[in-house]
Amino acid sequence: MSSKANHETPSKKKLSNGQMFSYGLGSIVNNLLGGAIGFMSIVLNVGLGINPALVGTLQAIPRFTDALTDPIMGYISDKTRSRFGRRRPYIFIGAIGVGTIFALMWQLPAGHSEMFYFWFFLVGSIVFYMFYTVFATPWVALGYELTSDYHERTRLMAVMNFMGQFAWISLPWFYAIMENDRLFSNSVEGARTLAIIIGVFVAVLGIMPAIFCRESYVPPDVEKGAKKSVLAGIKENIAMFVKGLVITLKRVEFLKLCVGTFFLFNGIMLVGAFSSYITIFYVCGGDTDLGARYMGLFGTINTAATLGSIALVTWISSKLGKRRTFVLATAVTLVGSLLKWFCYDPLLPWKVLLPAPLMAVGMGGLFTLMGSMIADVCDLDELETGERREGMFGSIYWWMVKLGMALAFGLSGYLLNITGFEVDLGGAQSAATFEMMKMFDVLIPAVCAGISIYAVWKFKITEERSMEIRDELELRHAAARASKVTA
Amino acid sequence: MKLNIKNYLFALMLSVFIFNGCQDITDEYVGKKPENVKQVNITMVAKSSNNPVFLSAKIGAEAAAKDLTDKHSLLDLSISWRTPLEENPVEQAERIINAVQDGTDAIIVSCSDTDTLTKAINDAVASGIPVMTFDSDAPDSKRFSFYGPNDEKMGRTVFTELAALLNGKGKIAVLGGSLNAPNIKKRMIGVLAEAKNYPDIEIVEVVYHGETAETASAEVLRVNAEHPDLDGWAMVGGWPFFSDYLLNKLEPGKYKIVAVDALPVQLPYIEKGIVNAFLGQPTFRWGEIAVEKVIDKIFLGEEVKENYEMKLIKVTIDNLGGWSRQLRAWGYDGIPDKYILM
Repeated sequence: MSSKANHETPSKKKLSNGQMFSYGLGSIVNNLLGGAIGFMSIVLNVGLGINPALVGTLQAIPRFTDALTDPIMGYISDKTRSRFGRRRPYIFIGAIGVGTIFALMWQLPAGHSEMFYFWFFLVGSIVFYMFYTVFATPWVALGYELTSDYHERTRLMAVMNFMGQFAWISLPWFYAIMENDRLFSNSVEGARTLAIIIGVFVAVLGIMPAIFCRESYVPPDVEKGAKKSVLAGIKENIAMFVKGLVITLKRVEFLKLCVGTFFLFNGIMLVGAFSSYITIFYVCGGDTDLGARYMGLFGTINTAATLGSIALVTWISSKLGKRRTFVLATAVTLVGSLLKWFCYDPLLPWKVLLPAPLMAVGMGGLFTLMGSMIADVCDLDELETGERREGMFGSIYWWMVKLGMALAFGLSGYLLNITGFEVDLGGAQSAATFEMMKMFDVLIPAVCAGISIYAVWKFKITEERSMEIRDELELRHAAARASKVTA
Repeated sequence: MKLNIKNYLFALMLSVFIFNGCQDITDEYVGKKPENVKQVNITMVAKSSNNPVFLSAKIGAEAAAKDLTDKHSLLDLSISWRTPLEENPVEQAERIINAVQDGTDAIIVSCSDTDTLTKAINDAVASGIPVMTFDSDAPDSKRFSFYGPNDEKMGRTVFTELAALLNGKGKIAVLGGSLNAPNIKKRMIGVLAEAKNYPDIEIVEVVYHGETAETASAEVLRVNAEHPDLDGWAMVGGWPFFSDYLLNKLEPGKYKIVAVDALPVQLPYIEKGIVNAFLGQPTFRWGEIAVEKVIDKIFLGEEVKENYEMKLIKVTIDNLGGWSRQLRAWGYDGIPDKYILM
């Protein structure tokens, strides 16, 4: 390693506690918004009697519009020039907008037809996802550019990931809160009130990054050319958007991170339900109470281990670098996944808890290191294109994550069918069904973790290379500032 | 906010405080029962507390009571187990009368005898106590609902499964139980009705007996000896396999056998390949479903159907392990580890 490796972050490049905390608050909002609709949608079926297939459609359609708007928002944010910056105005408006829409879309009036609720919620969801994009895409991009320091980026992402876990912890409680008959007369009323609370919470916390974070990158002013018609302006922007999209998608180092994330994250998501099924129906013989207790304990251990692993991964990363740390953390998850095979033991049910901490390490490392590594890719991209396009990179990365999640949820049902699982049989499934369920549960995440390791193994932006890029960019920025002063 | 050890420990401690705080709030507002909670007592009168199937039903009822109490903050549900040691309809009727006098809120009962229990049920209903039957019904009584098997359909299923094993042809015997038992009669009607759909299957003998393992085993061995070309058995009960007597008397694979019930004592017959399929009854659900329906009716005010059909679970060598684990979860004892691990 060169003398530049494992450098100490200079104090001028360190972010203040306030900035890190404010940015982390955005993570709570982002995760809360990402999961809340899914966790609350059960009310549409249970409370309002909407057909489950329609509820599924209600969840799917807005995600398609969301997939289209994410890169567009990334492009718009990257190209924005304002005295408040490229990201903060959108974060501010987006947070208030998304909080308001979220509160309103759950105010479902009583006594209407199924199709009324369908259209009411569909329109609400599409508008919600548009505002969600307005908030989330610039917020993600802001994280990539808050600091230019190799290790400080990882620390920022660690704080973001750590704080974001609190949203995931709270989400499973939503249904219990809405259904609680001491608080609400029915789940629909519960959803109305909960949505208002979440909406206010989101709006208040969501504006914090806009208020307290400072955009460190000052983009060059856009040269004013000859005046163009509106149509010509739109055409030019579309061409630039497509060009930017293509450049982003051709960035090999970025694609390695996308592949690494896609497989690790979705490999685990794809079989997420299998662990519950195997624990309840195989290990606990269909005893749902006992199975639920073990799953609850598994979740608690997993969450605690995720919080712990975020700190551990951040520390190891400062010693080994991001790529090696990612490979190490993912390898631990791979081992944890394989360990599951030996831990599904009906005679000793508590063994299902053993892989939980190992499974958490990879996930704890994933969103801590990936955000930091994408920020490094943005530096490389600027070096080669002269543009900073965190918005575009962030939106495509998260679009890929969301697409993968949608695919994983869709495919998991088919996988369960392939195993021959019949819900009426309860614990009395055939041995072949359980063997196949166990095989999917163990092998899919393990193989996906292996692919993820392979993809990231050849990631070329080492700490040393990152420092070289930064040095060159800072020279370039200094020269640009000097020429501006001269002009 | 930097993730050095000090800050990290602080963040972790803060997390613990938040979680504890949340737990306290949860306990305060969600976990504890309010003062206006409704105490509901359901009396459970099964046929015999010596019979493990009813102990499993009891576990199901208690599990449902706990789940419902947890789910509804205004409900505190308890189960009173008032089941005679041995099957005795008169004693069942007395226990129903006593439960009404003691102020129970509802009764669930599996009837040992229809006539004796019909009167007791009607008297309880007349006193304002709703009654639901499970496993064994009193259809002419004023009970509001029944959860249990459709016996005629069960008989048909026994025959259909056997016919599939025999590829639709062969000579078989049918094992009934007591001629006086109404549920057995219905099962036999089902078997014989379904047999008409299989002209190439000949029933060489229909056997009735005293519903004990000894009498049933003796009958099976007698018929086997008298019909050396016998291909299979359709049994509307599992009596011959309630002891291990036949384990070394029947040659594995020689006969295709389908029988009702799949209790732990019967499982070695599947393992050895003597019996091809048992049609198991989810006895845990007798108690579980009955309690849920009572609460639907008397607490939630929901509409409850008159009949809820219990689905049978086919148990073969393929799902012997799964069924064994399921039985263990339902409270049955004495299931060998080798089955649990299958």
